[in-house]
Amino acid sequence: MTDSSGAKAAMIEISGLRKDYGSVVALHDTELSVPTGEFLTLLGPSGSGKTTLLNLIAGMASPTRGRIVINGRDVTEVPAEKRGLGMVFQNYALMPHMTVSENIAFPLEIRKVPRAEIRRRVAEVLDLVRLPHVGDRKPKELSGGQQQRISIARCIVYKPDLILMDEPLGALDKKLREQMQLEIRRIHKELGITMLYVTHDQEEALNMSDRIMLMNARRVEQIGTPDQLYFAPRTQFAADFIGASTLLDATVAETGEPALLRLSASESCRVRLHSAAPVGTVGKLLLRPEALRLVQNGQVTAGHNVLHGHLDNTLVTGATSKHFVTLDNGATLAIQELTDPSTTRLEPGLRVQVSWPPETGRFLEN
Amino acid sequence: MQIRTTNAHVRDAAYAMPAALFMALLFALPLFSVLHQSLQQENGGGLTIQAYAKIFTTPLFLRVAYTTLEVSISATVFSLLLAYPIAYFLAKQSPRRRALYMILVLVPFWTSSLVKSFSFMVLLGQSGIINQMLGAFGIAPVKMLFNRFGVMVGMSHFLIPFFVFPILTSLRSQPLELAKAAAIMGAGKLRIFLRVTLPLSLPGVMAGALLVFILSLGFYIIPALLGGRQDMMFANLVDFYTREALNWPMASAVAVLLVAAAALAAMLLSKVRGGSSILSEEGH
Ligand SMILES: Nc1ncnc2c1ncn2[C@@H]1O[C@H](COP(=O)(O)OP(=O)(O)O)[C@@H](O)[C@H]1O
Ligand SMILES: [Mg+2]
Repeated sequence: MTDSSGAKAAMIEISGLRKDYGSVVALHDTELSVPTGEFLTLLGPSGSGKTTLLNLIAGMASPTRGRIVINGRDVTEVPAEKRGLGMVFQNYALMPHMTVSENIAFPLEIRKVPRAEIRRRVAEVLDLVRLPHVGDRKPKELSGGQQQRISIARCIVYKPDLILMDEPLGALDKKLREQMQLEIRRIHKELGITMLYVTHDQEEALNMSDRIMLMNARRVEQIGTPDQLYFAPRTQFAADFIGASTLLDATVAETGEPALLRLSASESCRVRLHSAAPVGTVGKLLLRPEALRLVQNGQVTAGHNVLHGHLDNTLVTGATSKHFVTLDNGATLAIQELTDPSTTRLEPGLRVQVSWPPETGRFLEN
Repeated sequence: MQIRTTNAHVRDAAYAMPAALFMALLFALPLFSVLHQSLQQENGGGLTIQAYAKIFTTPLFLRVAYTTLEVSISATVFSLLLAYPIAYFLAKQSPRRRALYMILVLVPFWTSSLVKSFSFMVLLGQSGIINQMLGAFGIAPVKMLFNRFGVMVGMSHFLIPFFVFPILTSLRSQPLELAKAAAIMGAGKLRIFLRVTLPLSLPGVMAGALLVFILSLGFYIIPALLGGRQDMMFANLVDFYTREALNWPMASAVAVLLVAAAALAAMLLSKVRGGSSILSEEGH
């Protein structure tokens, strides 16, 4: 679906949306625009307002204020059953008294689809979720992963404009979860349906999303592509929540390209500032483990930053290894490198240096 | 494993001992005495099944059996129609309100049948409160007492709590997401009720129906006080044989058949889904 300018039309347009329960704010004023066909993930810790936002969009709760426009239609006052959306729940929400086929046929019956077509479409979606032979079974005769596939099938069978998923893989074990992530991505690609996906698992969000909306304390923290959130977090919360990270206390000592950060009385480093922070600004320096190098005997590349400390231990996790270092200022950090036999046998307690190029560090104001 | 389980059974049985002893003395023993009585000859002598043979050929017994069945079934249906909306309403309340309303449901339950029956006589009588109110509008008195209507009112009033609780339990055990999922798929309120809520509450309805039916079979005071001559039920027949006909073997035989019918229904109850939870804690 494209408008005359060729740009993608928005499937969801949310403005000034807020939800209070008495004196409790469940969602602070929120703006959001989701282009048609996008896979957007709402990511955030438990209690950050993800379900509240999803329920407002689904029509299961009414907002205290604000507007929700779906596919060009203002649905703020429209009841859930008239919004024409799809939703997948963590606990599958399959009707236990109906067979798998009856479950999938249910939304089609509501839409008064003729019997023969119902039969054809049920078979079609069962194929799509790769469970063609379970139509006559009851949901409880299926495994958790299979039940979730059926609940996805029940959703896509009536071709809603938008599918909402609230932690759909939360009840599955890790291996199955990864399999289902791929499956949901495949279905999204094949059908091109806009999906709004909720999870508290940052890895899942990074794996699946076109864009991630990070939520914290019942408001939007940052919204962007997985790359943007990983490499350019705008807040300490975002840096900490997504990916592994070390955050060191830092103060801007000199502005410029690159700027100078003071880390302690005797230590400083260079960093590219992404915002105009004047001298004296207090914050944290974000270092990702894979951007750091363990150095012995001071063989530091020219122009790279360096901090001194001693090695606590080294973990070989396969293709990569992790070194844990305590810096002289007392802070600890992790370094992740491709496994190299010359650095895996280092003695704990050894004096080492940690180095990184100025462009990989990131200063985040308090 | 096997030994441990056996030990556990022995231990569990020990907990049930006081109750079992109590039941043995005050229920099983009298029951056996009734059974024994039912096998006596009318004028003394050896054991015989004379009373049973006679019962099944007595028109009075057959008529009462038919009435008992008819009254029990209609009381069950009548109570269901009144109890389901109550249970549905309770299920939708917040826990606080539900607790409060539940007390209201239970009040009649805590009141003696005798007191309630006399209250209904005051309410439903020829010159009772309701007929006086109708009279004020110029409506002729309606006969609501000493007939089937009076029996139905009295019985359902007593039985409704027994129906509300199993239905409420099965309504409350339904995951909230099911109705939510159905609504998002486009189902309106009526369709959600008919296709999701109601079918999933049927185990509770079945369990409640059997329970209420069993209780109905043994009703005595209400048919005696609120019903007419033609509303005589099993228990009233026992009363008739003991006090008026002075035929104890016949009275005992009717009692034994009543217990057997109730036991049969209770066995059915343990077979239905949800019913076992009424009979035992662990039946899920
Ligand atoms: N029905 C409700 N009544 C009161 N507070 C609620 C209700 N629903 C959610 N909240 C509050 O709103 C906040 C966000 O909840 P929720 O959207 O469920 O978070 P998440 O899905 O991210 O875990 C929480 O602090 C929660 O306590
Ligand atoms: Mg949630």
